[in-house]
Amino acid sequence: MDFSVRTDPPEIGDFRKEVRAWLQENMRGSEHLRWSAGWSTRDNEEEYQFRRELGRKLGRKGWLFPVFPVEYGGAGLTIDHHVVLDTELDRYGLNLGHVFYTVAHVVAPVILKWGTEEQKREFLPPLTRGEITVWELLTEPQGGSDAANCQTRAIKQGDHYVVTGQKVMVGYRSPDALFTLVCTNPSGKRHENLSWLLIPGNLPGITIQPMYLMMGLKNSVFFDGVRVPAKYLIGGENNGWKVANTHLELEQGGEGRVGTNALVERVVEYCQQTRVDGKPLLEDTNIRNLIADMMIELHVVSLMERRNFWHRFVRQPHPYGGVQFRYYQRMVRLRNAERLQQIMGYDALVPNPSVHEDVDFDYVVRSGPGRMHGGGTLDTDRVVFARRVGLGRPTKEKAPETI
Amino acid sequence: MDLRLTETQQMFKKVAADFVKAEAPSHLLTQWFRNKATFLPELYGKVAELGWLGMLIPERYGGAAVSFTDCAVVFEELGCAPVPGPLFSSGVLGALLILEGGSEAQKKSLIPDICSGKSIVIAAITDGGAGWGPESVETRLNKTTGGFVVDGAKRFVYDAEGATSFICAARTENGQITLVVVDRQSPGVSVTPQIGFMASVCEVRFDHVQVTDSNMLGEAGAGWQILDRALEKALPILCAYKVGACQEIFDFTAEYTRTRVLFGQPIGRFQRVQDHCVDISIHLDAARWVTYETLWKLDAGMPATASVHEAKAVASEAYYQACNFAHMVFAGPGTDYQHPLMAHSVLAHTLYQYLGTPLYHKRKMMELSYPSGEK
Repeated sequence: MDFSVRTDPPEIGDFRKEVRAWLQENMRGSEHLRWSAGWSTRDNEEEYQFRRELGRKLGRKGWLFPVFPVEYGGAGLTIDHHVVLDTELDRYGLNLGHVFYTVAHVVAPVILKWGTEEQKREFLPPLTRGEITVWELLTEPQGGSDAANCQTRAIKQGDHYVVTGQKVMVGYRSPDALFTLVCTNPSGKRHENLSWLLIPGNLPGITIQPMYLMMGLKNSVFFDGVRVPAKYLIGGENNGWKVANTHLELEQGGEGRVGTNALVERVVEYCQQTRVDGKPLLEDTNIRNLIADMMIELHVVSLMERRNFWHRFVRQPHPYGGVQFRYYQRMVRLRNAERLQQIMGYDALVPNPSVHEDVDFDYVVRSGPGRMHGGGTLDTDRVVFARRVGLGRPTKEKAPETI
Repeated sequence: MDLRLTETQQMFKKVAADFVKAEAPSHLLTQWFRNKATFLPELYGKVAELGWLGMLIPERYGGAAVSFTDCAVVFEELGCAPVPGPLFSSGVLGALLILEGGSEAQKKSLIPDICSGKSIVIAAITDGGAGWGPESVETRLNKTTGGFVVDGAKRFVYDAEGATSFICAARTENGQITLVVVDRQSPGVSVTPQIGFMASVCEVRFDHVQVTDSNMLGEAGAGWQILDRALEKALPILCAYKVGACQEIFDFTAEYTRTRVLFGQPIGRFQRVQDHCVDISIHLDAARWVTYETLWKLDAGMPATASVHEAKAVASEAYYQACNFAHMVFAGPGTDYQHPLMAHSVLAHTLYQYLGTPLYHKRKMMELSYPSGEK
């Protein structure tokens, strides 16, 4: 086995050097910026624009989706190139996944897998080149976890679908395109009545309203008789549940990651600087034990992420790795949220805009309870786990292939 | 990055899995553990014939000189059963202690017999029992005319039953720790099985046992450094053994949820039962990946000391917790000594303690990562 993500196989050649030099050049001017988390309470226009632009620049080189074929906006490279790009971006605290504030990383693989040749050529490049921002709309007011109970209707009229309904708790900033699950056959059987639809963000009849949540701003999207050309339906009519499973697998932990987590370093730094009774907090045995547990659990989180990343790219989906990882990561977040409160008291509840949001104690503490539900709950994760392992059943549900 | 096993490793794994199926089926295992017959000379001989003793040892001393990961995949399969006996304690740790601390003559005379299974060499470290650090060593090593005398009682010596020699950690008159190889047949050595919720653990007394210079392993006072060096290489193999055990527990628990029917349906349909299985899988995979990452570091010649401590902490905790969650699923029948879970449960408790608890190793890891004491 080889766990390394920073020593490259010979085929990589000078690629890491090239990427490093490119980033040195293109990250210039970002030194004073502090990155927002994927789901952010901060609102920093300069930071947002910098990352959008960085996304466009990476996209032009095919580097946002390095393993995608060139004709679909990728660079036709290998998993090892992807690892190089991700680890080099990681040095700046970023990763390919959400470098430019969109969910293209879970949507593009769906189009690649399910789209027709025409759809792939038309829809993929703007996404993969970082030109447009994308939202993914799944949750509805009546059915959070029960995504298949989809009430947003898309009724075929001629060569259009007429979409009416509401999606909630989605998106960030403004979208150029919305990817959503719609009901195309209201009288059809569950799981066989849905379709996966791309909706251009500028069509008439779309209203977006902000929702103020624990982890920052999200949105409610209303569709009121929105006429969507039929060519935007991806993967075939009434086949939407299968299509959605591709991005659900990615969202539910199957995407994987090779990046690092700087939280422990930040906590240690705090404990070295903070003195109690004349001694640094880091000398306290109880504090040291808490930090040791944090270290170990975050390390296990990153190993599971790396495992999932690898399984995805070698096209051997881990049977239950996605949901297992996501459930574990969320439980670790909860435990770490409490550990931070134990270690630093009220300081754990005070935002600090001078650090990246991912390691801002206030954000980390709120992430415990606040980020338990995005893309499915702790409970749906365990339900999926049970199906994949075949608990109480003779058969095991297969993990969907993703890319 | 490549998280696959090599073809050789897959072959090793298969041979070991077949061995376990043939030689240590669960009905025999439950009997062995229930009757506390965990040292089985015949079984041990077969393990030796397959070359699984001294796998990490150079060929010139009778070992197989395979990589850490190669050795680990075999021990992972052996842990599935779990195959009892001093496979790890002598075949890995005992052999490595002599390799790390012994003179050329000692290596030549002692290690080949460990590899062939003819001799079984067991480390006797803890005195008080609660501590695994050097501070806990109390057994004394006093100079006499013509040699030394060892005096002390080593409690909780794992796999002592079949031992032919002990490597005893003892304190010299000036307080230094030295390792001494003591023949089990020496006058004054006595071995008594220890009673309690543990497997294969004995008290080993050294009552005025005479030894000579040639029994010393390494220089006077070098005992703990030798032990540290040997443990760094040995512990990840023990971790792999526990990974195998966790995998087995996960597999047979998942299978039970398919076949056990209550309230008119297989219990695996109940989400609370599913939750226990999720928890087992998390402990299993935490142990698996931390262990294999550590093995990779050792194979790649990278610094691995902190990782080894982490792996020992995670794998011990994982084995213990996997048993606990399995007990939740199996309920009453799982506490019957006839049930395979009981062999694992008693061993998980034993190995939680053996060579240091999770808390002990977490602190060591923390100390290496962020040393205490102001600079």
